[in-house]
Amino acid sequence: MMSTAFSILKKDLRMEFRSKESILAMWIFSLLIFVIFNFTFEVSRLVMLEIAPGLLWVAFVFSGMFGLNQSFSMEKENGNLRAMALMPVDGGQIYVGKFLSVTIIMLMFEALIFPIFIIFYDLQLSLGMFMLIPVLLAGTIGFTSLGTILSAVAVHTRNQQILLSLLLWPLVSPIIIWSVTLTGMVLSGEMTEACYPLLVRVGAFDVIFFTLSYMLFDFILED
Amino acid sequence: MSVPALEVSGVSKDFGRIIALRDVTFSVQPGEFVSILGRNGAGKTTLLNIISGVSRPSEGTVQLFGTNPSDRENKAKLAVISHEMFLYGNLTALENLEYYSRIYSVPDAQERIETVLKDVELTHRRFDLVATYSRGMTQRLTIARALLHEPSLLLLDEPFTGLDQHAIGMLITLLKRQKEMGRTILLTTHDLHTATALSDRYLVISKHKIVKDGLIVDTNPDKIRQAFFSSEVEEGVS
Repeated sequence: MMSTAFSILKKDLRMEFRSKESILAMWIFSLLIFVIFNFTFEVSRLVMLEIAPGLLWVAFVFSGMFGLNQSFSMEKENGNLRAMALMPVDGGQIYVGKFLSVTIIMLMFEALIFPIFIIFYDLQLSLGMFMLIPVLLAGTIGFTSLGTILSAVAVHTRNQQILLSLLLWPLVSPIIIWSVTLTGMVLSGEMTEACYPLLVRVGAFDVIFFTLSYMLFDFILED
Repeated sequence: MSVPALEVSGVSKDFGRIIALRDVTFSVQPGEFVSILGRNGAGKTTLLNIISGVSRPSEGTVQLFGTNPSDRENKAKLAVISHEMFLYGNLTALENLEYYSRIYSVPDAQERIETVLKDVELTHRRFDLVATYSRGMTQRLTIARALLHEPSLLLLDEPFTGLDQHAIGMLITLLKRQKEMGRTILLTTHDLHTATALSDRYLVISKHKIVKDGLIVDTNPDKIRQAFFSSEVEEGVS
């Protein structure tokens, strides 16, 4: 059933590893954000700890926008978006393939940029930081599940990047705000059981966004 | 009589105030080769988009093999060749064909890929990125991709655009072979010579509607030319 999704995923990752276009651009962009903020503000470590989660997610989200735009731009090139609409498969499978490729690329980028973030903001590694894994995973999935379908909508228009931002930001902001809060709790070592309902809430939004997008994707592919 | 491969009934399409098609009705029998002639902007591409299920008509219905064109089974029987490549420049020819063979669940994929690559004389370039191909080579690979899953109905939207003489000759040979194999072919073109040489039947589309429908064998080529050019004159093209 999911063979189409895996074929699309394999194709997208092969193209990305060959060109490294998205991941490199995302990495450089995030590095710039960290450098600028690090050298612009002379603040104490305590203040830095407070703004660091927000900075991290600013880097993730702005870079993620680039990845989302890229994901369907490469399909629009050479008419492959039309080829997708002609495929004898359920649109949901195409959505899953694109969602997985965007999510994997974004998670790889996050794994590559996180050590730089630790170094720049002089954060101390601890076992508790492993709790960042579910937080980043849940936040990223929420962002990409919604971003993938909206990117497919926006790619049909001339002002693709503007439209994607306009559509995505209002809907995804609760997930980003909760993810920033949770990241702050992990980095300051305050991640307790009381934080889990917030993580569950992010997870619930992920499920809702993913399910709706899966069901609606067939209509998006039509002219 | 068998179920028509394609049945278009009263199809109209508008994009807001812009009319693209008006009350288009015709049917195509299995194994028939039909050319749709008309000037640029007459509505040929819109008609093919509706037939392929990519676009919905504003009015009217389309049936492929007696069912809805959006049905998955119908999509698997269909191939579209147009000026768009439907290929990824950052993948090799082989990778592109392997990708599409998985999507279309092509049985004995490797063997089939070798056959279509041989048919379009691209076996020696199969490991090269498509981005490094010339326009003619890319169009040949586009044809290979379209024929990969052995479609029952081929929709060709101005497939000769931008091709050199060698590629045109190769495409004509491939189309003749597809016709011999009993495939149904619908070709949109403004090249009268190629259309009359290949087709069984022709339709002239003008001002967004079908104005002439006839068999090639029954019609003097001059009459077809006359029908085509009179439609152009009607639309203000000298």
